[in-house]
Amino acid sequence: MAGNFFAAVGASVLNLCAEVGGILTLLFRVLICLLPPRFDLDETWRNLHKMGVRSVPIIVLTAFFTGGIMVIQAAVFVKKFGATSLVGWGAGYAVFREIGPMLLGLMFSGRVGSNNTAELGTMVVTEQIDGLRALSIDPVRYLIVPRVLSMIVMLFLLTILGDVVAIVGAALFGTVLADVSLASFWVSFSQNVHVADVTHGLIKAAVFGFIVALTSCHFGITVKGGAVGVGRAVNNAVVAAALGIVLSDYLLTYALP
Amino acid sequence: MIHCDGLCLQLTHRPVLADVTWHIEAGSVWGIIGPPASGKSVLAKTLCGLFTPRQGRLIVDGVDLPGLPEPDRVRVRRKMGMLFQNNALFDFLRVLENVAFPLARQNPKMPQDELVARAQERLRAVGLSGSEEKWPSELSGGMKKRVGIARATICNAPVLIYDEPTAGLDPVTTSKIYDLLTGLRQKHASTVIAISSDIPALRHFVDHILFLHQGRIRYCGPESGLEACEDPVVYQFVRGQTEGPL
Amino acid sequence: MISNFFASVGAFVLGMVEAFFQALSIAGRTFRGVFHPKERARGEVLHQMYQIGNRSLLFVTVTLGALGMVLVFQVCLQINKITGDQSQVGPEFIRGMVHAFVPILTAMMLATRVGAGIAAEIGSMTVTEQVDALRMTGVDPVDYLIVPRFLASMIMTLVLGIYATVIVVLAGALMAHTAFDVNYNVFFVFEKITWGDLGVGLTKLVVHGGAIPIVSGYCGLSTTGGSEGVGTATTRAVINSSLTVIILDFVISAIGLMTVQSGT
Repeated sequence: MAGNFFAAVGASVLNLCAEVGGILTLLFRVLICLLPPRFDLDETWRNLHKMGVRSVPIIVLTAFFTGGIMVIQAAVFVKKFGATSLVGWGAGYAVFREIGPMLLGLMFSGRVGSNNTAELGTMVVTEQIDGLRALSIDPVRYLIVPRVLSMIVMLFLLTILGDVVAIVGAALFGTVLADVSLASFWVSFSQNVHVADVTHGLIKAAVFGFIVALTSCHFGITVKGGAVGVGRAVNNAVVAAALGIVLSDYLLTYALP
Repeated sequence: MIHCDGLCLQLTHRPVLADVTWHIEAGSVWGIIGPPASGKSVLAKTLCGLFTPRQGRLIVDGVDLPGLPEPDRVRVRRKMGMLFQNNALFDFLRVLENVAFPLARQNPKMPQDELVARAQERLRAVGLSGSEEKWPSELSGGMKKRVGIARATICNAPVLIYDEPTAGLDPVTTSKIYDLLTGLRQKHASTVIAISSDIPALRHFVDHILFLHQGRIRYCGPESGLEACEDPVVYQFVRGQTEGPL
Repeated sequence: MISNFFASVGAFVLGMVEAFFQALSIAGRTFRGVFHPKERARGEVLHQMYQIGNRSLLFVTVTLGALGMVLVFQVCLQINKITGDQSQVGPEFIRGMVHAFVPILTAMMLATRVGAGIAAEIGSMTVTEQVDALRMTGVDPVDYLIVPRFLASMIMTLVLGIYATVIVVLAGALMAHTAFDVNYNVFFVFEKITWGDLGVGLTKLVVHGGAIPIVSGYCGLSTTGGSEGVGTATTRAVINSSLTVIILDFVISAIGLMTVQSGT
């Protein structure tokens, strides 16, 4: 029993190391393709368009309700002190620096990242990747790099959109639920929230996009075992992306001003 | 036994079955053939009430199946055993539990020993003694088919439906499976419906043929009359010609 | 280009509405299954609880621990800039965790981990016709597959949420102490938590925990089209259950603000 337990722990540690190593190798190969930048521009454009169009509705919905949730939390806190002038600041600060990039990153991972894993995984099990290799087309250059670049750019842009929508949502719900007038929300927001808060969140968003891209591509191109394998890879990819987002958030919070 | 009258079915806004009228006498053996995606499997599942037709009547053993709500359809389904195209073995159950599952559901009070004995007898009949404790994922394609057949036949249902009993199997295993099906049929005198793309092997086994193309019946009659069928689709398909409407 | 965009938004909305009503019908059948158990499934509930706990314990520990540290860091940083009075950080942080952050963040993590797992499992059973085979023998797939996962997920989300609160508060205290010299005695003050906060937090956990398997189970059962279908179902499960969690969280927060938390 005890031996069994240690074997299981050892196996999962080894497995974790293998996945991390695989992701780092992929990172290395992607960087090589970017120095100097040589990759497929058409594929990048296609991916940008596809990922953007696919995610806009979900990002807008998420951001709108995130704004609402944050304004309610701020309201619960300030009601006690009667300090409604703090609501705009509290909601804006939380949304821009932490909760916005984090929740949008998680939703992006669920929408675009998992889709990407499923797509690449299906290409692997139907031997399309081997087909590309047979035509001496480098799959990293042709498939991976465009996706990585698209995800970084798209999550960055979508977070800008999400930030705006979340603040609008927070202001609206603040008026309806917490008796904070739009004017006082705006005063509190514009006086206390700085450009640094926004850039802090946006840099995080770009890094999250990079992490989602790397994990989803890695689990996609290493799919084994046919149809069931694709499902398992998608599952692993979203979990790894969530872990990566939270851990990098932890590090970035210190590193960024 | 089963009477279809003008069945029409749509799946995700796409017509799959169109005006299927078909009468199956008790004790007859039917084969359903046709090009891929012609609605063969959907027709078989509709007969069990797994799909509800949009139009038309379906009477199974005197019961209007589509008119029943889902929980009551089990009364009709108990008269049917089905081998699914993908075998549909429950991957959370072992082989023996898989085979015994329908029997245990149908007779909740049956003692455990009798269930096991019946399932073992069934596994012996399909030549899989000794695999009782294996998981479905440990079996080869042919073995999975045979477990599926064992599970479909364990309740001695009067109607048996086999969806692609030999797809992906080698010729020797194919012959063995058809021998097995013939033996089962002679023993229980059941009504059998078999779907297959392997027409020569299927034609040895059945005495009636239904030919489906794009959800419509192109031929419905005795097996011997298939050669003489004038329909250009049937003519081309049965002879495997490259020239023609397909 | 523009009309294309509107077409895709329109298709999205229509798809959401249709999915919403189908998921609602599955929810109804699940509730009926809970109160009129046809399947003897106590062992199955325990098995699913073990699966959920086993899958998520480490994941929740790592993610929520890191989040606890980050949130305390951000709050202290801001307070340092304005008042410099760190004495209220601990009590207000703990309170905010209990009624707001832990429920939504735990549920988001579980939607990713557990929701994807449920959809992949039930989805592959759907495409290999195992669900049809169950129906052939008169088993209702909702009773047999979703009800045990529903009960297990509700219980385990509650348990993991309480566990996550402990982790978050410990991690937060550690961060406040090491980076901002907040004394542990000042940090661990639980008097600020009202019964209203506790009620809102626990309600959220139970509701989110119940919603995840229903939404993902619906995604699994409506899988079509072979191996790619399972991947799509998993994707849909993650996104739909996350979105459901966010919207439910908003609704419960709003109700809580207007009722039990209004006086505080």
